[in-house]
Amino acid sequence: MNLLEVRDLTKRYERFTLDRVSFSLEPGYIMGFIGRNGAGKSTTMKAMLNLIHKDGGEVWIDGHNFAAEEMLCKCKIGFVMGEFNCYQKSTLANITEVTRRFYKEWDETAYRGYLERFSLDERKKVSELSAGMRVKYALALALSHNAKLLILDEPTSGLDPVSRDDLLEVFRGVIADGTRSILFSTHIISDLEKCADYITYIKNGKILASTDVDSFRASFRLVAGEREQLEAKRPYLIGCKPHAFGFNALIHAADAAQFADCRVAPADLESIMIYTEQEDSHEESAL
Amino acid sequence: MKNLLYKEFRLCMVPMVPLFYLFALMVLIPSYPYLVAGFFTCNALFYVFNQNAISNDLTYSVMLPVSKKEIVRGRIVFCVIIQMIMFVLFIPMILINQLSGPAGNPAGVDASITLLGALLTVFLVFNTSFLPAYYKNPSRLGKHFLRSVIIVFVWIFLVEGTMGVSQALQEKVSVFAWIANRLDCFPKTTEAVVTQLILLAICALVYGLGMVLIFRRSVKNFELVDL
Repeated sequence: MNLLEVRDLTKRYERFTLDRVSFSLEPGYIMGFIGRNGAGKSTTMKAMLNLIHKDGGEVWIDGHNFAAEEMLCKCKIGFVMGEFNCYQKSTLANITEVTRRFYKEWDETAYRGYLERFSLDERKKVSELSAGMRVKYALALALSHNAKLLILDEPTSGLDPVSRDDLLEVFRGVIADGTRSILFSTHIISDLEKCADYITYIKNGKILASTDVDSFRASFRLVAGEREQLEAKRPYLIGCKPHAFGFNALIHAADAAQFADCRVAPADLESIMIYTEQEDSHEESAL
Repeated sequence: MKNLLYKEFRLCMVPMVPLFYLFALMVLIPSYPYLVAGFFTCNALFYVFNQNAISNDLTYSVMLPVSKKEIVRGRIVFCVIIQMIMFVLFIPMILINQLSGPAGNPAGVDASITLLGALLTVFLVFNTSFLPAYYKNPSRLGKHFLRSVIIVFVWIFLVEGTMGVSQALQEKVSVFAWIANRLDCFPKTTEAVVTQLILLAICALVYGLGMVLIFRRSVKNFELVDL
């Protein structure tokens, strides 16, 4: 059974529409939720959690409909918007003392364990923690109330590379027992390369792809060709970058046979995103 | 509910709130519009809301396994408790005022049971203006407060002014004489005590019913808010 299932989630604003977003996540995996700034990542997460009113769609958490069983679903979720930045002047001990009262399944032993594992000092105030430590504190709270699904909105933005790597290791540890999953949004693609099992790519409010990372990568190729080949190949190109000697572009793997006379290489996630987004800006500038 | 109230006092309460209770001492000032002291409790509540906006209290609260309705209920009960503490503090101040100072208050409502009732109306006017508006649009906190301050001070001016005029004109207008002798004085006759207690009971009833309506309206507004 899926731990998370989002079906046709829709939210309409005057200038933006989250358009029938659907994806699912099984227990034991990390899903990266990627897209440009303004693509709809945060809107999707907020609509999933009823923080904004959706115009359509359903969200299921561990087999429970979020709209019908919101409190139960919230107990199964740990949600962090960015780093934990609530009650900056309060100590972690104070915040934990309040938080634990709301969860029947609060596990104090587990909480102490996470504090030690993440080197968190409960006597410190939130304002005294680094960005990385705040995310870890939020994780400690979520994991201690036995959250099955962690939904993290840009948890690694603002962290230095070492802290990011450290946090990604923590993510892998969290899902290691196969009972929990993590959905995290990011625009730092290298984070996904390191730890994501699945990827959901949103663009202009629509899901372009939601699949495992390897399949996603395998469905594209990077090509480099000569200038005189450009016009003949153009119908197959995604986000073409012409230069003095030729062009670089992304293509669907299915079209690779058309590029036997070009240099073809495997695509990485960052290139896929850059070329895909560039395709859109070319279309817009053409308009 | 118990847990939300615990959160309000443990995480949301700001240290400045108890300091605002010192304004109850203003009741000891001779010839002063004492209801202004009550307004400072509303001011203290604004500090709570403002500090909580900075500390992302709503973001934290909506992620807890509680409904939006419960979140509103917790905060409104918290506000009532803060206001009731000031109400209770007014009682000894009124007694000390009467024991120590000259009788009467030319600036407005005299230190009396009537003052307690009037204090409840000041709280209610503030709550009516501020709370539903806040829960309709939490991000416009300053605007809601500014409007509420203006409305509250108009109300204070009306109440204090009515009492002040009553005292000044009690020998010329019989209604004002009745107000001055029955309502706007420290009650020394049975009639005055009964009259003022009835007024206090009415004010308490209106405050209670008003808070129920404010709660309902606030919940309705908050349910529509996108966070």
